Amino acid sequence: MIPDRIIEQGTLRARGGRAAVEVRLPWYRALPASCISAAKLTIDGAQAPTESLRWEMNGEEFTFADMKTNTAQWWFPTDSAVLSGDLAVDAGEHEVRVDLELYIPYIIIADDQVLHIEEHDTKTMSVRQDEEAYA
Amino acid sequence: MTAEQGTPIQGVTLYSFTRAFHAREYDLDQLIRKTATEGFGPGLEIIGFSSFRGFPEIDDHFAGRFSDLIDEVGLVRTSLAVNADIGLRPDKLMDQDELIAYMRRQIAAAAKLGFPIARVQISLTPDSMEALAPIAEEYGVTLALEVHADQYASHPRILALRDRYEHLGSPFLGFTMDWGATVSGFAPSLIEAYRRRGASEELLAAVVALWDEYYEQGPPADQADHGQRFGRFIGLGHQYGRPDLGIDFGINGTGLFGPARVDDWLEIMPWVRHVHGKFFGIDENGQEPSVPVSDLITLLVTNGYSGAVSSEYEGWHWNHWQSPFEIIRAEQAIQRTAAESAGSRMITDAAEARRAIDAHLSHAVRA
Repeated sequence: MIPDRIIEQGTLRARGGRAAVEVRLPWYRALPASCISAAKLTIDGAQAPTESLRWEMNGEEFTFADMKTNTAQWWFPTDSAVLSGDLAVDAGEHEVRVDLELYIPYIIIADDQVLHIEEHDTKTMSVRQDEEAYA
Repeated sequence: MTAEQGTPIQGVTLYSFTRAFHAREYDLDQLIRKTATEGFGPGLEIIGFSSFRGFPEIDDHFAGRFSDLIDEVGLVRTSLAVNADIGLRPDKLMDQDELIAYMRRQIAAAAKLGFPIARVQISLTPDSMEALAPIAEEYGVTLALEVHADQYASHPRILALRDRYEHLGSPFLGFTMDWGATVSGFAPSLIEAYRRRGASEELLAAVVALWDEYYEQGPPADQADHGQRFGRFIGLGHQYGRPDLGIDFGINGTGLFGPARVDDWLEIMPWVRHVHGKFFGIDENGQEPSVPVSDLITLLVTNGYSGAVSSEYEGWHWNHWQSPFEIIRAEQAIQRTAAESAGSRMITDAAEARRAIDAHLSHAVRA
């Protein structure tokens, strides 16, 4: 659902060996952190290590393991979250790809199974280097 | 039918404008004002988890402000769409007690926001609906379980719910009729979207032909039949060299465009408390080419239905080239013309709509 909206154009930032990009929910209604099951961040074909990924939402930062049981924090359809991970990014234009895996909590497809969807988006943009990180 | 003719209430669900809301072109207040200004009401339906931040928690200040806005612009709250999020923790699905507690909070939110109806979903079983009936009564909110696409009115799961409703006799339990169950063709605007994604004319013709074959057969007998149909749509993607489109054909061909006939609704007509006027697009002649809107309105009128019809435009998923506002305007014109041709009319006046919905539900919401 509207996967072309996942990556917010022009939001790629880099600092201290990490890269971050703002992402939007590819669904029409809010989902809790527990339903945001996985993501990948890939820049120019290089993928950030899974264990380095962090998710920032509602002003708090989470690991994906933290989110698994979190039903208190919700991703609202008009809010941007921030996906970050360990990736060195030089100045200039880059191809950014984000893969998202979500559970849709009201669609039960078998007795003990919830609908799981995978969406992805790719956009090209220049990076904003965050200078103070190197100070 | 010998029933007195109905006068359905015109309205819209803000879901129709998802693309504009998601793109931050309109916030909730602006969409409500736009709905009123454009004359898409008086009925207004909202999805709780789409439009209200922090839902189902609604604070007094917000509820008051929301109510003032609705009154100021002259709309009438019809249904708050709520969700049975049984898989809120996908690793540990809710048990019945957890589900009932979860639904209670949303029913309370509906009452607090002044909606007389809460749209609920198929994942609620007859036992769940029975357990929710006293909660619905406590808050004065009617629960209208949505019937759409592959789970049409005469589907065994829906008939089991109907039979339980009949047994319980609660005025707070009913159905939302969603026109997605009784579609008459694969939406041409979706075909156009596939064309723009490079699908060949041969593939598109095969997709339409397969859907037409299922229309001739009628809706799937059971979930196994449903799964087989899904598989054949996926197969077309492979056969014509576009495996990337196969799942999309399956989801839409079986999940959005339900092939039941209009009179299938007669199975549950006395329990229809709300209607989703689901549709997918308007063609160059001003007609909805794949949903029999006129026949559905005629069915409602002749069966004495005077509840709300929320125009629910679903084509926004794929149609990024046309304004949803123009499309809603055109579909509502078809509804009004059909109601008049059937010897009645749609209610478009807010005060009359409020009286009609009170009479239709036979009770008032208790916040």
